[in-house]
Amino acid sequence: MSKESQLRALVNQKLIEMGERERLKELLRARLIECGWKDQLKAHCKDVIREKDSEHVTVEDLVAEITPKGRALVPDSVKKELLQRIRAFLAQHATL
Amino acid sequence: GVPRLVEWHKQRATSGFAAPSSPNQSECSHLQKLHRGSSFSSPVVEHVSSSSSSSLKTKTSIEPKGKHGTGALDVASAMSPAACSHVNGFKVDNWKQNLRVIYRCFVWSGSAETRKRKAKSCVCHVCGAHLSRLHSCLYCVFFGCFAKKHIHEHAKSKRHNLAIDLLYGGIYCFVCQDYIYDKDMEQIAKEEQRKAWKLQGTSHLFAPAGIGERYSTWEPTKRELELLQHNPKRRRITTNCTIGLRGLINLGNTCFMNCIVQALTHTPLLRDFFLSDRHKCEMKPNSCLVCEMSQLFQEFYSGHRSPHIPFRLLHLVWTHARHLAGYEQQDAHEFLIAALDVLHRHCKGDDNGKKANNPNHCNCIIDQIFTGGLQSDVTCQVCHGVSTTIDPFWDISLDLPGSSTPFWPLSPGSDGSVVNGESQMSGATTLTDCLRRFTRPEHLGSSAKIKCSGCHSYQESTKQLTMKKLPIVACFHLKRFEHSAKLRRKITTYVSFPLELDMTPFMASSKESRMNGQYQQSMDTLNNDNKYSLFAVVNHQGTLESGHYTTFIRQHKDQWFKCDDAIITKASIKDVLDSEGYLLFYHKQFLEYE
Repeated sequence: MSKESQLRALVNQKLIEMGERERLKELLRARLIECGWKDQLKAHCKDVIREKDSEHVTVEDLVAEITPKGRALVPDSVKKELLQRIRAFLAQHATL
Repeated sequence: GVPRLVEWHKQRATSGFAAPSSPNQSECSHLQKLHRGSSFSSPVVEHVSSSSSSSLKTKTSIEPKGKHGTGALDVASAMSPAACSHVNGFKVDNWKQNLRVIYRCFVWSGSAETRKRKAKSCVCHVCGAHLSRLHSCLYCVFFGCFAKKHIHEHAKSKRHNLAIDLLYGGIYCFVCQDYIYDKDMEQIAKEEQRKAWKLQGTSHLFAPAGIGERYSTWEPTKRELELLQHNPKRRRITTNCTIGLRGLINLGNTCFMNCIVQALTHTPLLRDFFLSDRHKCEMKPNSCLVCEMSQLFQEFYSGHRSPHIPFRLLHLVWTHARHLAGYEQQDAHEFLIAALDVLHRHCKGDDNGKKANNPNHCNCIIDQIFTGGLQSDVTCQVCHGVSTTIDPFWDISLDLPGSSTPFWPLSPGSDGSVVNGESQMSGATTLTDCLRRFTRPEHLGSSAKIKCSGCHSYQESTKQLTMKKLPIVACFHLKRFEHSAKLRRKITTYVSFPLELDMTPFMASSKESRMNGQYQQSMDTLNNDNKYSLFAVVNHQGTLESGHYTTFIRQHKDQWFKCDDAIITKASIKDVLDSEGYLLFYHKQFLEYE
């Protein structure tokens, strides 16, 4: 494993241990709902299901279809806020 | 399989109910408090009419006819589509407990101990990654990435066909090659998730992030499903349906009470509060006015067309507001204030109602909806020091021209332009005129000097009232009944009032900007905070000695009805706006975050 991925794993561990990962998840969820992202993606899912044969759509199909759009539609402000939160968290628990 | 899943989702979908003044309900902290949802959609409230005494107060709607047209029974069975048969191999011995352990330790890690374990051990056994949609095998201790197919390899080689997504708790079946939804397993997942949430502490942990409480969708309990099945009648709410309209029998000059009840039962937020069954009573049975109010809403939205006889309400009012007891005609405005006061006091059990005894900090539903803040600025004429107080109010009482208190002239600086689209017949007074007069600076004469803390002596001063905080429902009381020492009479001066009202010019903040020389006229249209829509008008016909109260109320967006005790008739907007007006109820158009 590269140095970077080692560091990532360590940060992730800390986030989980301190319960911060859960809080960040909830924060992200709330922000994405507020800005309408969830509704947009939901509508997109429905379109995908309608286009494909609705009897045979799997979760994987949906994931493959909506991931690029989902990633692109996340507002910069949300990314910024999460980044700030993570930075603040790391600064606080600097004994890494 | 998927078709039944789609049906299931269709039947769980909620549809919207258009409130009369259609406030923007999708983002409102008040409503968040009421509905506790981070993902908020217009609530649909539908009362299932029941033949027995058990009445069900539902919180979300169920589409009355599914594809197969059998309604509620379909919901009960379609709610739990059968999972694939491949889970049967897993559901043996002590599988439930094992599954719980997996959820508790690796998915919804609530306690610090489980979190630590999760942090350390949840990595892919093949490549060590932790972020590529990690799954855990359900048959053995193996974690593998989904994205890189490591869990798939494991499933194939070990013939372990089930895995669980560690991020969201979904169960994946490798034979079906899709996520499956097993009723029993979902039940366990939900329970463990709730337990973990509780362990993670209360919402104050999330408050700094501004999130509020966690949202969980409503699921009917066994008892509720039974009730739904035993009471199959459904009512569809369309744009023309008249649910919520019901006459009230006059019990002997009780129209003063009836007219207020009509206004209150058609106040959207109050209706939502009661139909969501949010009142938790802490009083002796049959003595709580809030419980009686709740009953009243059940009666109004029951679909019964016969007029309701509010004898219990009258009795409670007489008990708790003795000054209104007796069979004489009382003042509807007095009744409104007394009713709000008793309701506010009886809201002790609800949410933050614990602070009910402190009038400044209560958070009961009455305060949330009706309480505004009136700012009073007293300016010393000598040193120009300003002393400010803010008092709570439930209504604004406005003097009218023709009363003994002088009405004209208006404050200097009023430009007489058409504000709020009121009909400007020459000389006709408008509601805006009354409000302008209400908020004008008033010279307190030499006989009413106040002690100025700046000058340390008694000085002449001017006093001015403005709105500091606007309530969600603003009630304007036109002071038509004069009870001075010399005479008792009714002032019948016509006052024109608008359908839409902008309170911006009367705000304390607007006054401050005017004083600073900034003219905000162009900004007013952009500021939606202060825009109100009329939704109820109480009128008084007759004289002081013998008179009668009626109410116009608004249904859906543009339908008005006249409520005259037991008789409800359709009315036109013109009827409403041409009426004399005694109590005017306005509802905020846009509900914002605090």
